[in-house]
Amino acid sequence: MTDPALRAVDLTKRYGRLTALDTLNLDVVQGEVFGFLGPNGAGKSTTIRLLLGLARPTAGRAEVFGVDAADVARAHRHLAYVPADVALWPQLTGAEILHLQARTGPGTDVAYRDELVERFALDPSKPARTYSTGNRQKIALIAAFATRAPLLVLDEPTSGLDPLMEREFRTAVRQARDRGQTIFLSSHQLAEVEAVCGRVAILRAGRLVDVSTISELRGLHRAEVTISYTGTAPDLNVIPGVEAIEPAGEHRLRFTLAGDPGPVLQALAAAEVTGLSMREPSLEEIFLDYYGTETAR
Amino acid sequence: MSLGTLATPAGSRVASQPSPGRAVTWLAVRQIRRGALIVVGLAAGMTALVVATYAQVMADPAAAGSLQALAGNPAIRTLFGAPIGLDTAGGFTVWRVGTVIAVLLGAWAILATTRITRGEEDAGRWDLLLSGRVPAPAVLLRHLIAVMAVVAATAAAITAVLLLSGTAPAGAVLHGTGTGLLGMFFAAVAALTAQVFPARSPATGTAVAVLGAGLLARMIGDGVTALGWLHWLSPFGLLSLTGPYVHNRVSPLLVLAAATALLTVLALAIARRRDVRDGLLPAAAGRRPRTLLLAGVTTFAVGRVLRPLTGWMLGIGAYYLLIGLTAVSVTDFLRDNPAMAGKASQAGFQGLGSIAGFAATLFAILAIPVGGFVTVRMTAFVAAESDRRLTLLASQPITRLRLIGAEIAVTAAAAAVLVTGAGLATWLGVTAIGGELAVTDALRGTWNVLPMVLLSLGAAAFAIGWAPRWTGLLGGLPTVGGFLLLVIAESIAAPDWLHDISPFAHLAPVPLTEASLTDSAVMLALAALLTGLGIGAYHRRDLLS
Repeated sequence: MTDPALRAVDLTKRYGRLTALDTLNLDVVQGEVFGFLGPNGAGKSTTIRLLLGLARPTAGRAEVFGVDAADVARAHRHLAYVPADVALWPQLTGAEILHLQARTGPGTDVAYRDELVERFALDPSKPARTYSTGNRQKIALIAAFATRAPLLVLDEPTSGLDPLMEREFRTAVRQARDRGQTIFLSSHQLAEVEAVCGRVAILRAGRLVDVSTISELRGLHRAEVTISYTGTAPDLNVIPGVEAIEPAGEHRLRFTLAGDPGPVLQALAAAEVTGLSMREPSLEEIFLDYYGTETAR
Repeated sequence: MSLGTLATPAGSRVASQPSPGRAVTWLAVRQIRRGALIVVGLAAGMTALVVATYAQVMADPAAAGSLQALAGNPAIRTLFGAPIGLDTAGGFTVWRVGTVIAVLLGAWAILATTRITRGEEDAGRWDLLLSGRVPAPAVLLRHLIAVMAVVAATAAAITAVLLLSGTAPAGAVLHGTGTGLLGMFFAAVAALTAQVFPARSPATGTAVAVLGAGLLARMIGDGVTALGWLHWLSPFGLLSLTGPYVHNRVSPLLVLAAATALLTVLALAIARRRDVRDGLLPAAAGRRPRTLLLAGVTTFAVGRVLRPLTGWMLGIGAYYLLIGLTAVSVTDFLRDNPAMAGKASQAGFQGLGSIAGFAATLFAILAIPVGGFVTVRMTAFVAAESDRRLTLLASQPITRLRLIGAEIAVTAAAAAVLVTGAGLATWLGVTAIGGELAVTDALRGTWNVLPMVLLSLGAAAFAIGWAPRWTGLLGGLPTVGGFLLLVIAESIAAPDWLHDISPFAHLAPVPLTEASLTDSAVMLALAALLTGLGIGAYHRRDLLS
């Protein structure tokens, strides 16, 4: 059996009394595009620092393709990283930083790098001190995508990019996936995660809440159902999984449904339903479902 | 349509704090308070110690006359400033520590000013600050005033110490005020260079170069009578022109104050005109990549050290060239006055009778700037880590050992270059003036301080592993701290064990004598131990951010 691209086993990080990450267990399979979600302060960046060996775990361990994350000389031969807040050596130009990264990195496809420089519309002759946040991010993205490292770890990689560049980013992710590279993407851009990721993990307050495919997540969460009927309104109050029933105009009813739709369909069959529409939740709604209630509590 | 303030919704209170400028001042004060305490403490402490030792040194009535005779020698004047008024405790103190404190204060004022102005702007933190209600020139002025207030406090502390020691009030006030004005002058210079250059390092470098040039101008003005007018062009020269406790001239200080005011106004005027994050000189728009020194971690470390190394080499080289040029004159003078040699040793300069002895005494001091260099380089490494520049490299297949190992090795090599350069510059100076100093003797002398420099490097490496915030302090402890300890211990006739803690107590006067292999080996072993412990801890700890 092949090793997972990334593995966290009871991974825990405490800073004094604060537990930033609490016994995380996670496998990222080779070749998948894996989304890593969570609100600010949930422990996403801490997790990534532990996976990269930049910080040492208080307990548990992290592995990159079966290699202990602390053994960076070996583990980092399999990965390229884009930090959330890219800081560059101010006196070096973009081209010089790309050169340094290529010379110290796990191997770079120089032709593809030049193509990426074009596609991301970067002027690499400028000293890094003159680059905007977005341009600094482009440097790190180009350096990472140009490697042939089997794993790309991307921490909020598009927060400074404009929509055009974000499109280039998604294209680059797909090309990387098609080449067989694994991608670990931590992001707040839920539309982006929805567009490129197969599976997602959701982190809250240092704990893993859920790991599943996006379609599974949708299935687990409330869909919004609207029905039209003639005659009396069907009584759905007692049916499990149905909530927030409200009239949506004359002879129309709207409610949310979570879980198995069987009982609802049976109840509706008894009524004279003339129309039914069902809308799956967006990732944003799922996200808010996880965290919105937390803040309300 | 009116452009008034938006109506406040009922039930909410928009608190508009009065005097936003005061908040900016406090921000500036917060950033320099730790260094400020150290500077004020050091200046007051050193002054107090020396003024207290005056009676002890002068216990021998002949000593006063001998020291007075030293004043006539051009070389002594060049190196240590004109020793005037040695017959008073105040005049003695001014001569013994006046220049040292002035250099210390000027250097601190430069580093603090560029750090909290251009450095903060470089880091992007002023974008937020300047989007507030306080305009850029006012922000700059408030930061500058904070630094100048610390300098003023230092001046007040020096004056108070001199007054409490019972020295003449006029001299005490003049010396304190002069030192303070000198510090303010360099704060203003740094504020100006921070407006002219679009980055912190050239701003700091240029201001430090002004300080070095000022010091050299004073030295030359002291040594060469025909060039005495150079004093008026140098802040250090102006300070010596005041002649505290003897001449008590005020006019040089007026010149210094006027120059300071002019520089401040200039800095504020540029701050008003320029764009944030830009300087008067535009940043380079673009260039072809220079990839020669970007082949790996080690060459990259070499690439980063070259420019600072050049600056330090120029400064240290110029000083030791001057030492070499004056060596013959000093030693001839002391040989002609055998009584003087003994008196000189009493005043703190031993073995000055021969060129070898003279050079050995001054080579020992080389450990201080070179120790400072390695500490500054290691502090820069920590800064790269804490502002995340190191993150991209640390996420490459590079062990922490290689990251810090390359930095330590390159810094040690650069230190070796510095001591070699100092030795060659001394030899060049002595030879040019017709003196006798073998190049091997000069190099043996300067290389002799390398174990102590490596001890500083080891202490800094230890700090990087265990307490990265203290890298500057721990790194400077063996050399700068060791020298201060020795001076203090000698001044207060402290017990031998206290004296012996200082590495300087174990530094053989090479080339006057052979190097002490035992002492060097102990220092090297300690350096290796500290470095090993530091690297071990660095390997295990979390990166700072």
